[in-house]
Amino acid sequence: MLTWLLIVGSIYVTILFLLAWRSRRMIRNHRDFLMAGSNIGLVLGFMTFAATLFSTFTLLGMPDFSRTHGIGAWIFLAFSDAGMVFLIVWFGYLLRKRVSAKGFNGMSGLLQDCYRNRWAGYIYFSGVFIFLVPYVAIQIRGVAIFLVEAFTTTMPIWAWSLLIVVVMLVYSELGGLKAIIYADFMQGTLLMVVVWIIAITCMKSLGGWSEMFRQVETVNPALLSTPGPKGLLNSQFLIASFLAILMIPVTQPQLSTRLVIMKNTRSMYRMAVAVGTFAMLVIFPTIIIGLYGALRYPDASVSEFLGGVLLHDQAAVVGSAAIIGLFAAAMSTSDSQLFAMGNEFRGLISVSESGSLLAARLAIIIFALAALVFSLLSSDQLVLLARISFAGTAMMGPLVILGILSSRPQGGFMIAASGLGLMAFILSQAGVLPEMVGTVRMDLFLMMALTLCAIASYIVRR
Amino acid sequence: MNNRPGNITWLLIVTIALVLVVITFTPLVLSPGRIYPKVLSMPYTLWTSILITVILVVLTYAGSRTRNND
Repeated sequence: MLTWLLIVGSIYVTILFLLAWRSRRMIRNHRDFLMAGSNIGLVLGFMTFAATLFSTFTLLGMPDFSRTHGIGAWIFLAFSDAGMVFLIVWFGYLLRKRVSAKGFNGMSGLLQDCYRNRWAGYIYFSGVFIFLVPYVAIQIRGVAIFLVEAFTTTMPIWAWSLLIVVVMLVYSELGGLKAIIYADFMQGTLLMVVVWIIAITCMKSLGGWSEMFRQVETVNPALLSTPGPKGLLNSQFLIASFLAILMIPVTQPQLSTRLVIMKNTRSMYRMAVAVGTFAMLVIFPTIIIGLYGALRYPDASVSEFLGGVLLHDQAAVVGSAAIIGLFAAAMSTSDSQLFAMGNEFRGLISVSESGSLLAARLAIIIFALAALVFSLLSSDQLVLLARISFAGTAMMGPLVILGILSSRPQGGFMIAASGLGLMAFILSQAGVLPEMVGTVRMDLFLMMALTLCAIASYIVRR
Repeated sequence: MNNRPGNITWLLIVTIALVLVVITFTPLVLSPGRIYPKVLSMPYTLWTSILITVILVVLTYAGSRTRNND
């Protein structure tokens, strides 16, 4: 295993830094560094969007989520992603139209311009910072705990986390967004290949496709329908998750930026279809791996299950590729998010062109350090933490859509409502406010209330 | 109001997508404890939700063909 790991790892790191160096040579101004020249074609655009969207929680979190909650995991993620790519066709067009008229210095800057109110940008950036830093942290932590499980005698969690952050910072500071996009391309390919090999191995060891479902039906039939054995995947949870995931390209700047930097709108449309197809192909095998886990590792801890299914039950070369794939997945999602936050910060402050690039670079380092600290403190429930992050950023969805959609400034009402909604969601997560409003989940209630506020504001000011 | 054929087709596609989304969250798909009828050995909720997901992606493609480009 170690030999294969060194071979696969060396190839990966060498290609990574060669591409970062190549990207560095192509950087002529801050736009090349931060926006990759805004000229990304279909293939690179699709892979960078997919790799940024599908992170470690796809390969680590989803199998464990399916193992615990069953086949409803498909609706939770794959169906929601299909809704999301449909939304891109509508929202992406409007966003690009707005950007072509007003320019683009990050979503915070764009919102300040649309609302003619600086607080629109501040509220948006607060939401992004509060919910994306923990999301970056769980990527790092997810891989770190897996690596500790794989190499029990080597480094502790904090050392693995530090290594991931340092590699990520070096190549993204070196090559900018283009380097990140190249890394995404490698990670997306690796993720797809590895997850299918592991799923097929799992299925074969259970005696095949039909036999797998037959055994699950015998051992734990609740896994084969919703809401699953623990009752989590009920319609309300799935609707709230659907809305939260639907809003990801609207509210998360690393993905909004990828809609903007596509070469043209036609490429963006085709990219959306490709991402939808990729989502189905990458999530389906995680359900198989999860059902395998339900049969072979029903009572194991998360790390025991993942160590077993991804490493010990696989050939050495596949296990090595899984480790590198996870390392790459954590970095490709995290660096995109940190980079986007740096760009958002730059869009909020008014400094000269050279100064703004320095500010973005410094902000990226500071956000990375914040994520590193948080990664040492967070829990191991990757999917549920990721979902909180999606729901938290989704609170700003109505604010963003209203700003992009309306041709005149919408005043302070929606900004204030979004700020209150964000605050209420944070307080409900902290246990200060209840998790339910009557019989409705707090996140679902807030999303519906903010949507109504946006509709009311649009009608009144039309 | 613009009634171009492209716009009407787009509205039709959006309507179908919304209907599919609503159906997914009803007992037609989310049916507690229901495993049968199976298709290709897959339990009921899994194959129905996969089918709807595939249709949504196809609708995304069809919708993008009706939309404006740069």
